[in-house]
Amino acid sequence: MIRVNGENLEWRNGMTVRDVLRQMNYTFPLLIVRIDGRLVSRSDYDTTEVPDGTSMDAIHMISGG
Amino acid sequence: MINVTIDGKSIEVRPDTTILEAAGELDIHIPTLCHSEIVESYGACRLCLVEISERGKTKLVTSCNYPIRNEISVQTNSERVKRDRKRTLEMMLARWPEVKVIKDMAAFHGVGAPSYEHPAVDRNPHACILCGLCTRVCGQGIWENIISFAGRGVDRKVIMPYGEPHPYCVGCGACAAICPTGAIQMSRDPNRPHDQEMVRRAGMRVTSEMLLYDTEQCNMRGAGTAHLTEIMDAYDLLPVMNYQYGSHPDTKNLESKVFVENYLTQGKPDGCYLGCSMACAKAAEGFELKTGPYKGEIVLVDGPEYETVAGGSNMGCFDPHFVIEYNFYCDTYGIDTISFATMTSFLMECFENDILDVEKTGGLDLRFGNVSAALELLHQMGRGEGFGPIAGRGIRYLKKYLVDEYGADPYFLQSIGMEAKGMEYSEYVTKESLAQQGGYGIALKGAQHDEAWLIFMDMVNKQIPTFADKAEALHYFPMWRTWFGLCGLCKLPWNDVEPADNAETTEPAKVPGHVQGYCEFFEGVTGIPQTMDSLIEMSERVYNFQRVFNLKMGFGRRAHDVIPYRSMGPVTEHEYESRQERYDGQLMELAGIDPAGMSTADKVAAMRKYREGQYEMLLDAVYARRGWTSDGVPTESKLRELGIDFPDVLELVRSHGG
Repeated sequence: MIRVNGENLEWRNGMTVRDVLRQMNYTFPLLIVRIDGRLVSRSDYDTTEVPDGTSMDAIHMISGG
Repeated sequence: MINVTIDGKSIEVRPDTTILEAAGELDIHIPTLCHSEIVESYGACRLCLVEISERGKTKLVTSCNYPIRNEISVQTNSERVKRDRKRTLEMMLARWPEVKVIKDMAAFHGVGAPSYEHPAVDRNPHACILCGLCTRVCGQGIWENIISFAGRGVDRKVIMPYGEPHPYCVGCGACAAICPTGAIQMSRDPNRPHDQEMVRRAGMRVTSEMLLYDTEQCNMRGAGTAHLTEIMDAYDLLPVMNYQYGSHPDTKNLESKVFVENYLTQGKPDGCYLGCSMACAKAAEGFELKTGPYKGEIVLVDGPEYETVAGGSNMGCFDPHFVIEYNFYCDTYGIDTISFATMTSFLMECFENDILDVEKTGGLDLRFGNVSAALELLHQMGRGEGFGPIAGRGIRYLKKYLVDEYGADPYFLQSIGMEAKGMEYSEYVTKESLAQQGGYGIALKGAQHDEAWLIFMDMVNKQIPTFADKAEALHYFPMWRTWFGLCGLCKLPWNDVEPADNAETTEPAKVPGHVQGYCEFFEGVTGIPQTMDSLIEMSERVYNFQRVFNLKMGFGRRAHDVIPYRSMGPVTEHEYESRQERYDGQLMELAGIDPAGMSTADKVAAMRKYREGQYEMLLDAVYARRGWTSDGVPTESKLRELGIDFPDVLELVRSHGG
């Protein structure tokens, strides 16, 4: 199990940041992603795995209006 | 991926990566003069020459625009490269001997005094060195192509057409900012800023970010704010059928790509002013109108913005042609698209609930999704005929009208009539964001989101979980956004593009790099240094004065910050059941009520009691943070602190308990 923005999400082996974003339906492009507080750069979303038991924050920036 | 070796170091790169980019990855420096990452490479100065070996053959190429497509070996400092680079620099130094950037680069590469006199020597220290950065930023960055090269050989120069001032050049300054020699100067500036350079740097920073990051960030240059339609739908925030729901399968018909591919075919934006590099305003050209006084005519339509597209879904009209047509006629009649869409959505829900029928509307079949009826209502508003003048007075009037004329239930109408302080809501579903409910409800001008848009921070990021957190956000952001209004600035460059290092800052939601840019912009114009806190203080003074003005006009108290329950939660049983799992869970986890065995009607009532209580607690927290009484009136001490304690102002707030 991992925590994503405070919600539980079933963990599976090899799960990347991109997988988590897809599963959460986080389609907004202006994101800041941290795993246990550590920043993950946008170019690494496809290759960075989210380890079991960690907490991932996908901070959506304000946009529009 | 392709393997490349540069000066003995290897790296794998994607096809079409330039040699200059690959060298940058390896921290190998290659000199450039006409290169900038914000415009397309040009290869004009030839200082970035490198020697490549490919399949046993060697040749010199310009590294800035040489795309890597095969495995190659690169020498950035071979004898051949050094010789050629020196020769180029000597020629430049001979022609422009006093230009600092040339002198510095020549000295760095060991080029002494030229061995010959150039026939076209120009001893101006700010001479144009024909790098072409200015012409490229004007064309690619600002989409204007106002300046370009003319002439050949030694007569080559940068000019406007026919060498005359061009009426479309508004002096955005991008060319002057990118010029490496100072050859382009802002010669006349009627605003006479304190520090022109400082102003230009602040503006150019935004232009650079737009050119570098917009495509992968918000695509404001490509689609404009309408890029939000599919995003809001994905997060259940897109208003559908008078804000009952937040998404719909037919939203695919209104996605931004539908408009970009089929309607916004100009290939360039319709920016609010020439020179804006964000240029998010779009225009649909060659659009044939199907209804109204201009039926059959081909017109150009300014838009649509996100709010106008989402107004379509709010009316249940998932038809892109309808969206552009109602956009056109709202503009033509002088009617706000948001107010029209939200008001019509309200009437449609009244129609679906038998509060209205075709007899009462004069024949308009105002069911959700009826694009013909919606447009006819708009035309009647424009003509001042039929049901138009009644609808045109807005939701606040309509609620009273429907109760007085047809005996409608005022409680239901108050629940579904999406207005606050008499202004119709803009197009976001706020049910799951208490902070944004406050953002709409407390906003001084009425139900608008331009004071605060906190839905992601609150609902998705869960960054502001406590009342104190929400109150702080409802202090900072309205004050910050008010500052743009004070200065007559667009706020979109603040938050619709972000600096590369924004994620590494302590408060990325505030985009500190951009706030600093605005401090410098203000100082550049006025000469008065600013900090983030001083900008907020400027706004707080005006904001409180506006609240006092509202008070004077009969709108500035707690009773005026009420909002319709539709913006807090599900009004109807059907609405509750459409997201039952979510609401049942919240009843249990947040309100401490076990929904098992409860009827939907009871669950709706319990949820409503809980959420309305939360909103009242939010008002308490926000008023306290702002230094207002529990009735929402600025206190005397707050007014003194802000230096707006004028006698008549004090008298007014005292008479309201402030």
